[in-house]
Amino acid sequence: MSQARLKDAIASLTDTAARLSHLSQRSYQNPYTVLDWPTAVEPEQEWFSSPELLSLYGTPLWQGLDERTRRRLAFHEAANFYSLNIHGEKSLMQGLAARLYRRDLAEVADYLHHFLDEENKHSIFFGGFCTRYARVYRTRQIAGTQTRPRDVEDFLFFAKTMIFEEIADRYNWIQGRDIRLHQVARFINNNHHFEESRHLIFGRQLVAALWSACAPDWDGAQLADVRGELEQFFVASWREYYNPDVYADVGLDDPWGVAELAWAEPSQREHRRKVSSKCGHFLITTGILTKEPTDAF
Amino acid sequence: MRSEKEIRETLRSWVLSKAKNLHGSVPGNSAPDHGAPDDGAPDHGAPDDGAPDDGALTDSTPLFEERRLRSLHLPELLLLLERLRGEPIDVDDLRPGDFRDIDTLVSRFCGVGVTA
Repeated sequence: MSQARLKDAIASLTDTAARLSHLSQRSYQNPYTVLDWPTAVEPEQEWFSSPELLSLYGTPLWQGLDERTRRRLAFHEAANFYSLNIHGEKSLMQGLAARLYRRDLAEVADYLHHFLDEENKHSIFFGGFCTRYARVYRTRQIAGTQTRPRDVEDFLFFAKTMIFEEIADRYNWIQGRDIRLHQVARFINNNHHFEESRHLIFGRQLVAALWSACAPDWDGAQLADVRGELEQFFVASWREYYNPDVYADVGLDDPWGVAELAWAEPSQREHRRKVSSKCGHFLITTGILTKEPTDAF
Repeated sequence: MRSEKEIRETLRSWVLSKAKNLHGSVPGNSAPDHGAPDDGAPDHGAPDDGAPDDGALTDSTPLFEERRLRSLHLPELLLLLERLRGEPIDVDDLRPGDFRDIDTLVSRFCGVGVTA
């Protein structure tokens, strides 16, 4: 890989990183004081997720659920959404920490500090909800043992981070503004969206810069591997939104069958395509992907 | 409760749907011919789209070691295994090699032996 191209790519981010660092300092918050947690919540009385975003919405199963069960599903899916964010942010924090002050990324180290700090704070909110009122749902994503060249690992790390955050941000954006939701759920979503907007700007610029710097040196097999990995990452990320453990907690029979039915339902496939469209468009227009990640839809 | 034959056929069909360069067992293959899945899955004959052919899938074909599948396929595979056995799998209890091949998956997660 051309070190000069990578150096130029990182240098192109320094102004953005400085501006974002300034904004992060200005909105620095204490996660232990900024939110008053109620002693208890009533999952069957209040909405904790927007019903239109639920994994069973628009399916025949949804029609068969009474109002209390729909709200209970919304509560457990809120905990699942926060849980998948916790797991995603754990991997993200590990990756950011590993790259802090690495010589070739030193020019953005200040902003990586903020990125890391803010991800940890988000997890405090997500974990605060799950441990007080519900539980932290497990992830089925398991770290792979395959190793790739460092430039490929860097690119995939930041590209996956961007995909994960862009999907979650759409949920945050909608739910942070949904006045039907319990105030704690609105706060967590709105706060996350506010903070993530900086990460998304940084993520897109960095992914595009790394791609321009690294991809010209990759052969056809490497490019196919990178593209295949990102396409499958869409699938793995979306699969976590259809969690049989949630359906079991809600009291639905055959939770794995429910997950398969919901995943394959045309209205849900369209929902995933719609939520993924901005991110997918970015990946295609930059040439990173050559087609829509259709296996996820 | 599904039979071991059903479990193996479902797993083979799933692997073939994800590992694009593998195809179903062919006559003359030294590995046992487990027959084609009968669940309406697409025909998984040898690839004819110019993609590299990694050969025929058998129940001892290494799935991850030779990169026919990616670690990012594991969430889907775990969901399928949980569905087949009807109970959750403790992901904290997983060991390297648990997903080596279909024989291993069947014996490790579905509580049955390695012979069909």
